[in-house]
Amino acid sequence: MHEMGIAQNILDIAVAAARKEGASKITRINLVAGELRGIEPMQLTFCFAVVARDTIAGNAYLDIETVPVSGYCNECQTNFSIDDYAYVCPQCGSVKIEVTGGTELRLKDIEIE
Amino acid sequence: MKINVMQEVLQANDRIAGENRKIFQKNKNLVLNLMSSPGAGKTSLLEKTAEMLQGRLRLGVIVGDLETTRDADRISKYNIPAIQLTTGNACHLDANMVSYALPHLKLEEIDILVIENVGNLVCPAEFIVGEDYKIMILSVTEGDEKPLKYPMMFHESKLLLINKIDLAQYTNFNMEEAKANAHKINPDMDIIEISCTQGTGLDRWIKWLVEHYKQKLKGSAHA
Ligand SMILES: Nc1nc2c(ncn2[C@@H]2O[C@H](COP(=O)(O)OP(=O)(O)OP(=O)(O)O)[C@@H](O)[C@H]2O)c(=O)[nH]1
Ligand SMILES: [Mg+2]
Ligand SMILES: [Zn+2]
Repeated sequence: MHEMGIAQNILDIAVAAARKEGASKITRINLVAGELRGIEPMQLTFCFAVVARDTIAGNAYLDIETVPVSGYCNECQTNFSIDDYAYVCPQCGSVKIEVTGGTELRLKDIEIE
Repeated sequence: MKINVMQEVLQANDRIAGENRKIFQKNKNLVLNLMSSPGAGKTSLLEKTAEMLQGRLRLGVIVGDLETTRDADRISKYNIPAIQLTTGNACHLDANMVSYALPHLKLEEIDILVIENVGNLVCPAEFIVGEDYKIMILSVTEGDEKPLKYPMMFHESKLLLINKIDLAQYTNFNMEEAKANAHKINPDMDIIEISCTQGTGLDRWIKWLVEHYKQKLKGSAHA
């Protein structure tokens, strides 16, 4: 289960950021997860609760914002959303596109006390 | 109080992968991260590859396996340096685990290093280990809709090997459908049909390997 490793990394980053501010408690963690990462929010939430127990993030709420897959066309310079894995430009039909969203896995911000 | 963090969650892994990559670069290794479902034929492919590359290019292998050293033993029979990483209950290799294996390999005596990841279609795609390319195997017994169910791995892979084509006649696997699904996720993906047991298509795989090895050498000559 890769969610366990990811949960541990989230905890480490959040705790380091909170410590730098001298915080005693993390109340919320806002995560951005691209759809392509295949993160199961339920599983990640569960794993996070396990690794965070007995830490300053023990009662933190983990918010997982799922980012849909999006693309940019190199031919006609259009931005568009990619539904159902159709990696073609809806404007001009080109397949010379770049995936611009949906692969990220980023810790956006945290709330501390 | 809200604090801005904006950090990649897997940055620790990615940093170590970068260090591995420097070591590979120095030793002029082409490094491939080989992924598939359990039993799709990763070790079988490496056995055949070892045989076919003999006297041409020097192969080295790192195998990630949950418990046993069976896969490494199978490959060592071909006089190929093979290191087994027992992952315990981890479902993928990460950059740190791979870095532990590196001192045990004479990388300067290896041209192509293949890292056989743990059999799993989800987790390994998340963790880069310092590879040049991710490549994957899909066997016909798994079904042609797999690319749509597990898009991340197909999206990240440079090459798809469709294995066990000798069994295709006994299944409802539709080859055209499978390729179309894979190309839908990743239009640039190379696809080669193979059978490890019968040897079909393996010459094309070896050609792909040799070409990408040459490209890598050219690239690192400038670097
Ligand atoms: N019929 C047929 N069987 C194959 C082929 N390639 C591999 N196999 C068989 O599939 C089984 C699994 O092959 P392995 O090479 O061990 O697969 P793997 O991906 O390394 O498996 P794990 O490491 O356990 O994930 C073995 O019994 C192989 O003999 C093929 O092309 N055709
Ligand atoms: Mg194997
Ligand atoms: Zn376009």
